[in-house]
Amino acid sequence: MENLSLLLPEIALSGFALLLMLADVWIPPKHGRVLFHLALLAAAAGLGLLGLCASNPAAYQGVGTLWTVDPLSVFFKILVLASAVLVLLLSVDAKRQDEHHLGTYSGLILLASAGMMLLVSAVDLVMVFLALELISISSFVLTGFERGDQRSSEGAIKYFLFGAFSTAVMVFGLSLFYGATGTTHLLKPVPQYSYATSTMFLLSCLLMLVGFGFKVSMAPFHFWVPDAYEAAPTPVTTFLSIAPKVAGLAMLLRVFTRLIPHPALELSALFSFLAMLTMTVGNLTALFQTNVKRLLAYSSIAQAGYMLIGFVTADALGREGVLLYSLVYLFMNTGAFAVAIAVGNEEGYGLEGFDGLAQRNFGLALVMAFFLLSLAGIPPMAGFVGKFTLFAAAVQGGFYGLAVVAVLNSVVSVYYYMLIAYRMFFVPPRTERPVAPGLYLFSGLALAAIAVLVIGVYPEPVLSVVKISAEMLP
Amino acid sequence: MLENAHWIALLPLIASVIILLGSREDTEKSRLPWLGIAVMGWCLLHSLCLLGQAVAGKLEEPFYRTLPWFRFGAYEMTLGVLIDGTAAFMLCVVTLVSFLVQVYSLGYMHGDPRFKRYYAYLSFFTASMLGLVITSSLFIFFACWELVGVSSYLLIGFWFEKDAPAYAGKKAFITTKLGDLGFYAGLLLLFAYTGTFDLRLLPTHFAMGPEHMPEWVPAAVGLLLLFGAAGKSAQVPLFVWLPDAMEGPTPVSALIHAATMVAAGVYLVARTYFVYQASPLAMDAVAWTGLVTAMMAATMAVAVYDIKRVLAFSTVSQLGFMMMALGVGGYTSGMFHLTTHAFFKALLFLGAGSVIHAVHTNDMRQMGGLSKKMPATFITMVIGTLAIAGFPWAFSGWYSKEAILHDVYLRSPLMWGLALATAALTCFYMFRLVFMTFLGPSRDHPRWEHAGESPSVMTVPLWVLAGLSVFSGMLLEHGGLFARLVHAGGGEAESAGLAAAPHWLGWAAVGAFAAGLAAAWRLYGEGDFALASSLKNNLQPLFTVLEERYGFDRFFLWLVRLSDSLAAALHWLDDHLLDALFVDGWGLLTRALAEIHGFFDDFFVDGAVDGVGGVTRDAGGALSRLVRGQTQEYLLYVALAVSLFATFIMAR
Repeated sequence: MENLSLLLPEIALSGFALLLMLADVWIPPKHGRVLFHLALLAAAAGLGLLGLCASNPAAYQGVGTLWTVDPLSVFFKILVLASAVLVLLLSVDAKRQDEHHLGTYSGLILLASAGMMLLVSAVDLVMVFLALELISISSFVLTGFERGDQRSSEGAIKYFLFGAFSTAVMVFGLSLFYGATGTTHLLKPVPQYSYATSTMFLLSCLLMLVGFGFKVSMAPFHFWVPDAYEAAPTPVTTFLSIAPKVAGLAMLLRVFTRLIPHPALELSALFSFLAMLTMTVGNLTALFQTNVKRLLAYSSIAQAGYMLIGFVTADALGREGVLLYSLVYLFMNTGAFAVAIAVGNEEGYGLEGFDGLAQRNFGLALVMAFFLLSLAGIPPMAGFVGKFTLFAAAVQGGFYGLAVVAVLNSVVSVYYYMLIAYRMFFVPPRTERPVAPGLYLFSGLALAAIAVLVIGVYPEPVLSVVKISAEMLP
Repeated sequence: MLENAHWIALLPLIASVIILLGSREDTEKSRLPWLGIAVMGWCLLHSLCLLGQAVAGKLEEPFYRTLPWFRFGAYEMTLGVLIDGTAAFMLCVVTLVSFLVQVYSLGYMHGDPRFKRYYAYLSFFTASMLGLVITSSLFIFFACWELVGVSSYLLIGFWFEKDAPAYAGKKAFITTKLGDLGFYAGLLLLFAYTGTFDLRLLPTHFAMGPEHMPEWVPAAVGLLLLFGAAGKSAQVPLFVWLPDAMEGPTPVSALIHAATMVAAGVYLVARTYFVYQASPLAMDAVAWTGLVTAMMAATMAVAVYDIKRVLAFSTVSQLGFMMMALGVGGYTSGMFHLTTHAFFKALLFLGAGSVIHAVHTNDMRQMGGLSKKMPATFITMVIGTLAIAGFPWAFSGWYSKEAILHDVYLRSPLMWGLALATAALTCFYMFRLVFMTFLGPSRDHPRWEHAGESPSVMTVPLWVLAGLSVFSGMLLEHGGLFARLVHAGGGEAESAGLAAAPHWLGWAAVGAFAAGLAAAWRLYGEGDFALASSLKNNLQPLFTVLEERYGFDRFFLWLVRLSDSLAAALHWLDDHLLDALFVDGWGLLTRALAEIHGFFDDFFVDGAVDGVGGVTRDAGGALSRLVRGQTQEYLLYVALAVSLFATFIMAR
């Protein structure tokens, strides 16, 4: 167990999450909110620890037995925890059916975050598998957390079946990998093995890709996404649409652009096809949605498709693009879901709930417009900067077809994003009742809105951080 | 101090947002306008401190700070400030006039239903203007330039319920936009050959000479930027919007259409002076544009009776003087005139506003004899008039105009002669305005009876500006102070020196002043204007030309109609020719093909299809049963996809 201290944030976080669940048994439901706040504090403290890791690489970064802590993993750990903080903020004000087990709820979110943090650090397939299972099982429970709601349970079961299937496929891939190389450690087989010729090795890579593809909602492994997203409590949907996705992408980056670089396997064409398929399926299906959660679910599939571009090009610029877009996506997607929660608390999650929002709460409609513009990639919002970097990476890498398809997809996406904006500003409202987000929801919303605007208008600091963070250790 | 200079532009922006969104109700009781005034007061103090530093010699090297903004490819965009002596002066001028105008507006706009919004717009305008002055990047310059245009549009059309202001706002916006096209094209060309927008780095690119960049580039860039400047600074041929812009509230006219925004074009030429120094052709174009504008506007000012329009034409004419000065190499004299003009023209506009506030009309034929009713306004207006007319050796206008005439003379005596005649005309139409408004008997008695002096919140700014109109010239001229400040760091080479000009130039200017004053007294000094009207009757054709503004308005309207009819013609072509030939024709062809195809289909294909169809129907039914969220079905898809990909990989 070399350098176990590198994983201190994860260990502390999982320990605390278990304590929270334990405390849930003792603390009466009416004081459940205390546990929310404790979880928030823990996540914030974790962020502080990670800030320390980022600021002092010499002391807090390095390679361990099954894990490595490098700029890339620290960046994504910060992203995951930031997402956890935002989601906990949204959870306080979201309408729930009952107020029980808030400790379990926040504990599970922390536990899933810890799993993702382990995932982005893992350099051994056993570790990868464990981390993935930690994420998946916590997510299954979170999805079905509204136990009184049959649809929630149904979504959770579907999600579970799908997760179990993809895990099985992935484990098969892992065993093939072991069979082909004689090790599960990703750093070891490199010198003596000539990859491209071994069918068994290629097959193992493909099956592992399916496992990751499931997490990042890559088409055609995305079928669970809309059902699970619609069924889950909306803050959980927010979490699922962001954190596991960026963590999975980080793992894809580490494995397939560095440890087993896919261009060397001559798989670029396949991966490029998958990226195009993902964004096209996401965008085209989103066009016809009438429920905001499903719409955002398909939108998040399309967004994952854009992020896959950076993974396809597998060069420094592409990696930077993925990092930048993950960061931007974290804020704009959280923001959009936060507004959806504020509206959904009152009106439910049909698109018609957005009718005339500008007259009911102008500020809310305005920030939603910002998030939508950002998701559509229109300047001066942050989404534009992210998309620009990714598309530029595609063009520089010579993937012209991919770039063209991506741009066309962006155009298509403008339609359904702006449809919401149209409803907010130009359709008369159904009721005059003002929409009032709670204090926590408001603060999460404000954080996201400020980030989207500031990164869009003044991207340079973020660009330089991303440039530093795109490096990997071994 | 200098390190915080960017806040001069940012604070008014924040203030404008707060004022606009700060509270929901918009009444005159709102306290938010005071925020705008306070912020502007702070900006004024800060700018004065900057100027003080310049005087103390701390700006020998321009202050230049940038931070990276974003990158694309090999190019980097920066955000930054570049403050040299010229910019420090502009900052003072803009903040001072804006501050006084905001104070003045407390009285002038009192009781307006959109009082708060008015102040938000004023702050927004000032923020954009200050950003334009302070920025180190031409890209941001352009952005602020457009924002200035937008706020000008909003303020001209502030009383948008009435048709005339709404129309005037639109006209101003579109006309200046035409100029902006030139600016934009110039920027693109500039960037294509230098790869940077940074005002600090650009001069070296242009100084490197013809082997670095083709010779036509500086000329083309210069001309395109000049076109942009002509739009904003109301030069020929794009001056048509400024007289109409007088439909806006008068304090707005003083701030935007006299002292600051219209000077932005001149400032653009000054900021990009290195381009013009690299191209004699562009330089000449600037000089002649300025001269022609100055002359035409001065003549047109003679033929209008609307007090604000006289001042508007006068502004156009004076801006022409500044342009001409820059064009003949008189960087110092041009910027000097910009500074002094800002003071006395703001004064004149605010004075006119005071008059309009009192008599509720713009028409000078309904005024007269107001000197007894509003003495403070009268005295300050006379001071402003003496300043703009160039009362010898005393008022600020004399010093700056004298400097310009010197520089022009050294370049070309012919241009000097024309400029001198224009100066005489300036004196004439300005005294005509004063005589018609304040002297003689009252021509509309009820209005006269009703008139009275404006409140002190309006007259105090007048007195401040009057003081500046008198003394700023002397102060800045003293010991070459202005020249030293403007050249501190900027280092623009001056081609003209005062020493080389003959001594009688000054006396010629005195003569021009005297001639203008005498003519105005002869024609308008008496109460009944008998001589003036007989002269007008005799010269009716000429007068008509002037009243129609040399046909420029008609020309632009014709241009608009031309493009309208062109669009109509193209539409007709599209409708009748292209649609008929290509779309409909294509349609017919397709239909014919489809008929053949259909025949083939019916007889040969369907037989085969019918067999398959049955199978498909059954399968489709099965599918539609399964696709309704059935997990096993989804998993089947995944398994299929995985095996497909696996096959693909292994088959390679």
